Amino acid sequence: MAEEKDPEKEKRKIKSVKKMKDIMTTYYIEAKMAEQTGKKVAWITSGGPVEPLIAMDVIPVYPENHGAMIGASKMGIDLCQKAEAMNYSSDLCSYARSDISCATVNGGPIGGLPKPDMLICCNNICGTVLKWYEVQARYFNVPLFILDTPFCHTQFTDEARKYVRKQIEEYILFLEDVCAKKMDHDRMKEVGKISVEGQRLWQAVLDTAQNKPAPLSAFDAFFHLALIVTLRGTKLAVDYYKELLAEMKQRIADGIGAVANEKYRLLWDNLPIWYRTKWLSEKFAAADACLVADTYTSAWCGALKYIDENNFLESMAEGYSRIYLNIGIDEMAREVIKMVDKYDVDGLVMHSNRSCKPYSFGQLDIQRIVRKERGLPSLMIEADMVDERFFSESQIATRIDAFMELVRERKGA
Amino acid sequence: MESLEILTAAVADPFTYARKLKKDGGKKVVGYMCTYAPEEIIFAAGAHPLRLFGSNKNIILADGHLQAYCCSLVRGVLEDALSGDLNFLDGMIFPHTCDTVQRLSDIWRLNVPAGFHLDVVLPVKLNTASAREYLIDVLNLFRSNLEKALKVKITGDDLRKSIALYNEIRNSLKRVYELKSKNPQIIKGKDIYTLLRGAMIMERSSYLKLLQSAIKELEKSAIKTTNTKKKRLVLSGGLCSHPDIYSVIEDAGGDVVADDLCTGSRYFAGLIKTDGDPITAIAERYLQRVICSAKHKDNKSRAENLIQTAQENGADGVIFMLLKFCDPHAFDYPYLKEALDKAVIPSLLLEVEDQPQAQGQLQTRIEAFLETL
Amino acid sequence: MYTAGIDIGSITTKAALFKYGKLAATKLIFTGYNSEAAGKKIFTEILQEAGLKESEHIKVVSTGYGRGSVSFADKAITEITCHAAGARYLNNTIRFIIDIGGQDSKAILLDENGKVKNFVMNDKCAAGTGRFLEVMARALEIDLDKFGALSLKSQKPAPISSLCTVFAESEVISLISKGVAREDIAAGIHESIATRVSALAARAGLTVPVMITGGVAKNIGAVKALEKALNINTIISEHAQLTGAIGAAVLAQNLK
Repeated sequence: MAEEKDPEKEKRKIKSVKKMKDIMTTYYIEAKMAEQTGKKVAWITSGGPVEPLIAMDVIPVYPENHGAMIGASKMGIDLCQKAEAMNYSSDLCSYARSDISCATVNGGPIGGLPKPDMLICCNNICGTVLKWYEVQARYFNVPLFILDTPFCHTQFTDEARKYVRKQIEEYILFLEDVCAKKMDHDRMKEVGKISVEGQRLWQAVLDTAQNKPAPLSAFDAFFHLALIVTLRGTKLAVDYYKELLAEMKQRIADGIGAVANEKYRLLWDNLPIWYRTKWLSEKFAAADACLVADTYTSAWCGALKYIDENNFLESMAEGYSRIYLNIGIDEMAREVIKMVDKYDVDGLVMHSNRSCKPYSFGQLDIQRIVRKERGLPSLMIEADMVDERFFSESQIATRIDAFMELVRERKGA
Repeated sequence: MESLEILTAAVADPFTYARKLKKDGGKKVVGYMCTYAPEEIIFAAGAHPLRLFGSNKNIILADGHLQAYCCSLVRGVLEDALSGDLNFLDGMIFPHTCDTVQRLSDIWRLNVPAGFHLDVVLPVKLNTASAREYLIDVLNLFRSNLEKALKVKITGDDLRKSIALYNEIRNSLKRVYELKSKNPQIIKGKDIYTLLRGAMIMERSSYLKLLQSAIKELEKSAIKTTNTKKKRLVLSGGLCSHPDIYSVIEDAGGDVVADDLCTGSRYFAGLIKTDGDPITAIAERYLQRVICSAKHKDNKSRAENLIQTAQENGADGVIFMLLKFCDPHAFDYPYLKEALDKAVIPSLLLEVEDQPQAQGQLQTRIEAFLETL
Repeated sequence: MYTAGIDIGSITTKAALFKYGKLAATKLIFTGYNSEAAGKKIFTEILQEAGLKESEHIKVVSTGYGRGSVSFADKAITEITCHAAGARYLNNTIRFIIDIGGQDSKAILLDENGKVKNFVMNDKCAAGTGRFLEVMARALEIDLDKFGALSLKSQKPAPISSLCTVFAESEVISLISKGVAREDIAAGIHESIATRVSALAARAGLTVPVMITGGVAKNIGAVKALEKALNINTIISEHAQLTGAIGAAVLAQNLK
């Protein structure tokens, strides 16, 4: 018997979702067929400089995106437990744990990632990726390039700029060596321009949530983010986001919001809780709350201000060093406040994510700063992005209810 | 041993010691937490480098800034700072190590009023020419920032004198370890622990004198003491803040004859060249020294070093002391264990925290491990 | 020639008496809060049963977390080594032991000769220990002895995913309030502990034949769940709970 479709729900569905799924499927099929097509595969961190790979015709594969898929398909517990049997502590990052064990069993939602020919690790997001990529470099016995982006607590020093620029030259030499061919610098310039265009479009998509009601929520952004992460620097991403942007504009024109009766606008901080996005989004929607913005998906366009599209390679040193997670928590708090103002936010929802220490330590201070500057109520959810064993539904449901009471009260007054 | 008594007193209460040093000696005190802090430069600036090891206090104030899945070392140090116990510090420096310490630096800068605050954003990889260059740049930057913060001038001569002193301290500590390994009976593990801690707490010149007199006594008793056949063990991990662990091991019929700890051999491994530019020489030591798991050199060096340490010291086994929630070390453990297994060196994993342990569980694990050797 | 083994655990104290290398008597009492008194009491009682006097020359090995408080013991040996010796006495083919105790769970790998080759114990948290089952049984208001049997009635175990005992307890409570059948919750709890313990077993290097020792071996629900998680059959001795004490008495024979 065919299920009765709720027309109200159907109206709110984002139509581009299907196209996005198709693109990602094709992308993973191509990546998995790399061996047959003679293309090289690089595993790269989510904040890593992918553009030179695209320019060199290398297929970038993102273990973190894979981790998110593992989480979303609720395969995290099993893979995390496998890693624990391999002597990895259950306190370690669940992306890393599930990826490390997945590589040995070719499990997970897509039967494992294609084997890498090289590993590209940029530590602008955490020190965990360094250790994780060391593990994989030993396992696959392939060359590892580390782009070391010094932490910008209060500034990006001249010394750091010189160091990162020099490493980008080393990165290109590394790629030329592994691929046994020269970099085509004209193509590199082109890819740089396309990357910037994609990031701008992504920012424009996120910006549409300034509208009331917001045509998309952070939960939608978590999903549509995949392309700006994995296919940044390709026409495919640019074309897709153009379409998505058009759809969002149409939704605004038609008055369609992500949440049926948007009364409260919230900001999400930290990675999604992948295995519970649906539950959370319904929970908040039931309280007429829409998560209109988040610090996570905006990280893939937040460094645009440092990048010169006409001088991409030179400026990417700064762009990749000054991303959201590689800066001090006072600057992070300022970014959050900017978003609070820009999206007219009524409250802050922070995921205290035991897998991600650089994202989570400092949240309590950010919370305090935002409360002081803008008087906003905030909620802290203790969980993990992939490992469901650290999620307590009853506890979190109670906290959300209590938080929404606060938000309503403040807004009503 | 008289020198050991003086050391024990300082190590038992480092804050009182540092306050006194400041009051009586007029020294400025600069705090740090890890072996990647270039303390030679702090000493050359006429200040006193004081290493912080975390706290035995209950964590109350730090809980308002750091979640429960933060390691006890960082929570403890922050607790000490927020409770005012560290208000004698003239400054605090944060070399880049792990994610948690990065965030501690931010939280400290925003919440701890005492003294100046300097980040020393060292490279994470230590095996490329550009990283070497950057490391030297960062150390030079630190030198000039420290000069400004302390309002002093650090001359090349100051640096060279400091380096000479540190080389002597490191050489002497190495000698202590050699004596211990040769003849474990001559000194208790907890006394070695005290000797090491003293190096990070006490005024360095007077410390060196105490250390040297301790060595003389050890050399004397080495002749008289006969070696018993206890199991020889190596400790591996980050820092060890558990003097009791040595007694537990000794009571169970073992001796710690060597270690791979940042409060142990990693503190004194490697000397600094005395010719050429002193800052470059300090950088060179870091580039060559055995790394902490938060740094990258290559993919195998820590395992190779651990196996070498175990073999050179005739170890019967290795005990890993992993601080709970210390990610870099937890990531290295599986491969280190695998390498030891391949080399047929038995090992035991202990998960530790700074705050009081369940002593019984620790003891059972250690005793059982020794029973299997 | 007599030897005795005394195993002082966090909940119960066990004793085994050997005569010419054969098991002659056993005894089990609650430890209470004074482990030293428990050790003395059980020793006196087991000697009485065998008609022996304390003055007779009996070699004693103590084990368990209270092993240090048995002043009359000739030697204290950890429960890891004692469980190995005890398991091999009960069945000399055993290569692997899983012991789920009150505050510790252990997985012990033996070599062909019964010597301990490797062992792994739970980390500090109570998940995967006997204590975890106790807390959960209490939340379900079921006697601990009936807990395992109840879980076998389940057709559809309710998944309990939380690692943390406190979280798991709130998960159980919310399952109760949702009206999930008790047997399904009980089965879920046993599956959860089995998953935890099987990870320990994997880390220690699981090798058959496997014996389950300790009090939890009497819990049929936990045993079945563990066998399912490990995908093997296990061997359980009628003396499962006494394995440590028996091993201690065996090891006492080697004392000079």
